[in-house]
Amino acid sequence: MAKKPQLAVDTRPWRDPANNKPFVRIKNVTKKFGDVSAVHDVSLDIYRSELFCLLGGSGSGKSTLLRMLAGFENPTSGTIEIDGQDMTDVPPYNRPVNMMFQSYALFPHMSVEQNIAYGLKRDHLPKGEIAARVAELLALVKLQDYGKRKPHQLSGGQRQRVALARALAKRPKLLLLDEPLGALDKKLREETQFELVKIQEQLGVTFIVVTHDQEEAMTLATRIGVMNQGEIAMIGEPTDIYEFPNSRFVANFIGSANMVEGTVTADEPDHVRIRSAELGCDIYVGHGVDCAPDQILWWAIRPEKMALSREKPESPFDANVTTGIVEEIAYLGDISVYQVALESGKRIRVSQTNSVRGNPDAITWEEKVYVTWHDNAGSVLTV
Amino acid sequence: MSTTHEPTIPPPRRLRPWNAVERRLARVGITGRMLVLAAPVLWLLVFFLVPLAVVFGISLATKQFGRPPYSPLLTTTEEGTVQLTLHLSNYIRLFTDNLYVAAYLSSIRIAFIATVITLLVGYPMAYAIARAPDKWRNVLLMLVVLPFFTSFLLRVYALSGFMRGNGVINQVLGIFGIPPLAMMQTDFAVYVGIVYTYLPFMILPLYTTLVKLDTSLFEAAADLGARPLRTFLSVTLPLSIPGIIAGSMLVFIPAIGEFVIPSLLGGPETLMIGRVLWDEFFSAANWPRAASVAVAMLVVVVVPIMLLQRVQGAMVEK
Repeated sequence: MAKKPQLAVDTRPWRDPANNKPFVRIKNVTKKFGDVSAVHDVSLDIYRSELFCLLGGSGSGKSTLLRMLAGFENPTSGTIEIDGQDMTDVPPYNRPVNMMFQSYALFPHMSVEQNIAYGLKRDHLPKGEIAARVAELLALVKLQDYGKRKPHQLSGGQRQRVALARALAKRPKLLLLDEPLGALDKKLREETQFELVKIQEQLGVTFIVVTHDQEEAMTLATRIGVMNQGEIAMIGEPTDIYEFPNSRFVANFIGSANMVEGTVTADEPDHVRIRSAELGCDIYVGHGVDCAPDQILWWAIRPEKMALSREKPESPFDANVTTGIVEEIAYLGDISVYQVALESGKRIRVSQTNSVRGNPDAITWEEKVYVTWHDNAGSVLTV
Repeated sequence: MSTTHEPTIPPPRRLRPWNAVERRLARVGITGRMLVLAAPVLWLLVFFLVPLAVVFGISLATKQFGRPPYSPLLTTTEEGTVQLTLHLSNYIRLFTDNLYVAAYLSSIRIAFIATVITLLVGYPMAYAIARAPDKWRNVLLMLVVLPFFTSFLLRVYALSGFMRGNGVINQVLGIFGIPPLAMMQTDFAVYVGIVYTYLPFMILPLYTTLVKLDTSLFEAAADLGARPLRTFLSVTLPLSIPGIIAGSMLVFIPAIGEFVIPSLLGGPETLMIGRVLWDEFFSAANWPRAASVAVAMLVVVVVPIMLLQRVQGAMVEK
């Protein structure tokens, strides 16, 4: 692993677990439905005021894990602690936790105000206080004029905000959000993302968000837990997950990556050389890797971490340069993605910023190009 | 020469025989939609509205001996003019004779109490079926409908076999030394009969309402701090009102006019309008009186339906 930048004042408790107590502690939790393990031996610590995203495809167990936190499912084994208290067998109505449902689950026979007040009434708060709190929440989600409406008289985006207000009404210590933006269209989703982060920072509530949308996870999260087949594949900050994936699954699941197989030819403390027939050149990695000579491993690189040129660039270690023919170009406006067919037949994707307007000299189809990258641009993966 | 880009002309429609029929009908202003609507309209006209009009007509006649056993409404006088004779005496009699008023009130009371009991018995069953695992649901629904596979009359006789003096229930009670209970020929037996017979009509609409409810609503209520009973009262029950109304109407309306159950299970003091009607028609052979009883019963039944539908409509609008 390469070194990560460290901030002078670190406000991220997960980087110093020895001195910080986690707020939510999931210990060895397994959930079986019949013979199928939906969640398998997951352990996870989440800290106060975090916005933690559980990211995974369908069937990865992320929703089941969230439902266990809410109390709708009981773990087959393992424990869940929230704020130092064991919550494993506590029913949902006694947990200091609220959930925002994917379908919003607004009560159709109640007005917006009644929906928001529902949880407060269960706490037997005085009427005046309930009314004040409801008004405050309606203002928070900017729905002051919609209090008397029924859910079916609202648009999708408004319903989403009512669901959020209702979930926040009891001032929970922990808010669980199941695909909170899933039902919104793209533009509204982008707006709402920032609003959600703003509300979270404003209230300081700990959020755990389940999503299958990696862009959403990247934008929202302080940390992301990538889930695969009921297990946590990787936990890390968005940059860690993207730049330093720990496995082929994570590298492929997040963003797009070119992945090649190679054999270690030199294993030094400060660098590693990998020979890749697929890539048609040697890979020089500018840091040490925990591996053995002749070990077969994988190397992954993001399309934007590579550069294209017509002339052969200099290669200080006689590595990190390969050549191929441009097969396809996808012009996306800000960038163009080139698909280059290497001599081995392997196709890699390289993206280039379109920094020159209407560049007449841009690389085009069927051109022979050189592809090059820096020593630390790719990730060496052993699993 | 852009012959290939010419818009394609649809094939001439008149080649199909049905289109020719359709066109000819359209020329006289008859569309397919009207034909589809015509079938139920015709059915209701022939088998419901016309007989109803006949019954209403008979109710305005008086009893006489002969065939038919009621006075004609239209008569031709000697001068050749057509004369319409309407008698309101039957309706006046309905209000002045205590028997009829008492029978109506008693029918409504029995039907209402039976409906409430059916609701109390049927709701938990419908709820359990709606929440049962998928593979069990159809089996359970089948069990609810199963009694319909035997004759209604047989089932009512079987009930009397259970409840009569030396019936199954009293024999079992006898084993424990409990003296036999008099159940037959009482209102109790009528309630048992109605509840038993009409239970499926209550369960099925309740089930369809309950099964459609999104389970995440219950989870949301629990999540917001509602215990199971509170969740039921504040979420499940209000959202199942359409099913409660539909089920209650399906039980209440036929129960008012019920004839077989009170005559087989009820005693002489069980006064229901269905029996009165039967007696007027077959014992007293007073067709006009029986017809007026039937028309009055229709009013008694239709008015609550219209009121309920208005309530239901208002709720849907909200």
